[in-house]
Amino acid sequence: MEMKPRMVGNVAVLAITGRLDANTVPPVQQWLEQATGAPGARVLVDLSETTFVDSTALATLVSALKRCQQGQGEFALCGLRRPVLMIFELTRLDKAFTIFVDADHALSVLNA
Amino acid sequence: MLVSLLSSQYTRFQAMAEAWLAQGAQTFGVYEQGRPLAYWPAGQRMLPPDLTAAIYRYDEVIGELRLTGLRDEAARQRLQAEAGLISYIVQLEHELQCMTADLVTSQDQQLALYRLTQAMRDLVTIRETLQAVVNEALRMLKGRAGFATYVAANGGEPIVVQSSACGLNNEVIWRLYWQLQTEDRPLLLREDDGDLRRPPGVHNLLLLPIRVRGMMMASLGIIDRAEGFGTPELKLGRAITDQASAQIERILLYQEMVEQARLRSEMDLARRVQTDLLPRTLPEVAGLDIYAYSRPALQVGGDFFDFINIPNHPFIFTIGDVSGKGVSAALLMSMTRTALHSKAQFMPSPTPASVMRQSSEDLYNDFTRIGVFATIFVGQYDHSNREIMYTNAGHAPVIYRPCHGKAELLLADHTAVGVLPVNNFQNRYLAMRPGDLLIVATDGFSDARNADDELFGIDRLLAAVDELAEQPARAIADGLFSVVDRFSAGHPQDDDQTIIVIKGAAL
Repeated sequence: MEMKPRMVGNVAVLAITGRLDANTVPPVQQWLEQATGAPGARVLVDLSETTFVDSTALATLVSALKRCQQGQGEFALCGLRRPVLMIFELTRLDKAFTIFVDADHALSVLNA
Repeated sequence: MLVSLLSSQYTRFQAMAEAWLAQGAQTFGVYEQGRPLAYWPAGQRMLPPDLTAAIYRYDEVIGELRLTGLRDEAARQRLQAEAGLISYIVQLEHELQCMTADLVTSQDQQLALYRLTQAMRDLVTIRETLQAVVNEALRMLKGRAGFATYVAANGGEPIVVQSSACGLNNEVIWRLYWQLQTEDRPLLLREDDGDLRRPPGVHNLLLLPIRVRGMMMASLGIIDRAEGFGTPELKLGRAITDQASAQIERILLYQEMVEQARLRSEMDLARRVQTDLLPRTLPEVAGLDIYAYSRPALQVGGDFFDFINIPNHPFIFTIGDVSGKGVSAALLMSMTRTALHSKAQFMPSPTPASVMRQSSEDLYNDFTRIGVFATIFVGQYDHSNREIMYTNAGHAPVIYRPCHGKAELLLADHTAVGVLPVNNFQNRYLAMRPGDLLIVATDGFSDARNADDELFGIDRLLAAVDELAEQPARAIADGLFSVVDRFSAGHPQDDDQTIIVIKGAAL
């Protein structure tokens, strides 16, 4: 797992490459806690290079989502590959998250 | 020095004197600082010398040979040669004495080091070790005061230990420590060098790094040795710090072993919580063939299943997976399972949706606070309609296979408990006539990996279900476990694998 954080306008973007699971999630969790901590935070997690997410990783994304919502911020995902999207669909998490096709689209909406 | 040589070799000196006298000399004497130590012939009054030859130790004159009665060149040369030989012997004697003294000192030091090792053997904290090192180093190096520091690699509290007479403030000690870090070699700060790094009031200071696992993590400082610090003290200091570093490494190793043992027992506890809470017997329900099994991973997850099977009450089963690993997951799992169990058991006319709704209300706030969620499937058998009513909160994989149909994956209808504050849980229905099959597993099955990092996946699972569908419930479960095991051969089980197989049976 590799993570690439960047800022685009007001949006903190984290691109994650590889497997996101119980073993690799701690640094991502740390980043998300920081990024979603401030009120009104806008955070985008780019999963276009993510090959797998397990339930621990999903829990991390969910708690980031909730923290963001508590602070009236926005939290979105983008670029989910087929197998990852399927995990979201299977667990109905696609209903809970705002999911964009790609980072460009997501950023144009979040930065608007 | 000359006196001791003279007394031990008196007969030889005498022989030398007699040879001179035989050759015509009137007197022969050995002198030290102008005073005679011995002269021949005995009782003869010493006359002013005609010839003298100095006896040296290195470049220093320590005595001379004096002769009267002869003054020719041959006698002068011979007297010179004899004085030269005596000088040489005196020098050798001196070196021998020095070596003997060194040997005694080094024996003393070895003994002291041995005592240090013995004294440290039973110490289990780094602070105690540093204290012992400071005390022993002070004694062996004869310093006035001493101190030692330690900085843990894992960011633990740094430690400073001082001898009672030290009186330096910690800031000064840490400044010296960082100086040592930068220079990365022993430092000798002396008054005569006017070294400015020397703290005020300190005449001389020996600072030694203590390496732990190849990194400088600690230091030893000895202050004010009356004779000053030289190479022997540096060597001895190094020997002491080597001992200290070995002992600190031993302590770290010990602490790591204790920590590992603690983690292991925590994992054992998690595994016990999980396995002991699961139902020990399978329910017998008319019209159903039921089998369930849960296999925890090495790093225990939060899988569970449960049955509520009491007289005059619908048969309800639950299965779920709380996110996370270890003891926390096991505790949350037991909390979730209990919430579901009590709702299913005590609600007047429970349905999966109402059980799930009420449990979700109970759990949502706690889950949010801790940052976890649980995927839960609740099913209820309606014998009169031969139907299973269910609600699925984010749980996967759930597979249904009608008696003569193909296995299909049932998507969850709701998000997992703990994700959204409100979930409008609804009941869904599946026919459960003879041969119809419902399999609810946890993601430990679909997410199983092989040595090439390939996922077992849903498609393989569906294919395996179709292949095994004709078998009884237990054989289907066993078959699925062995298919997954064959697939993931060579790769350890990452997550718990839990399964409930329910098959419509003849009445």
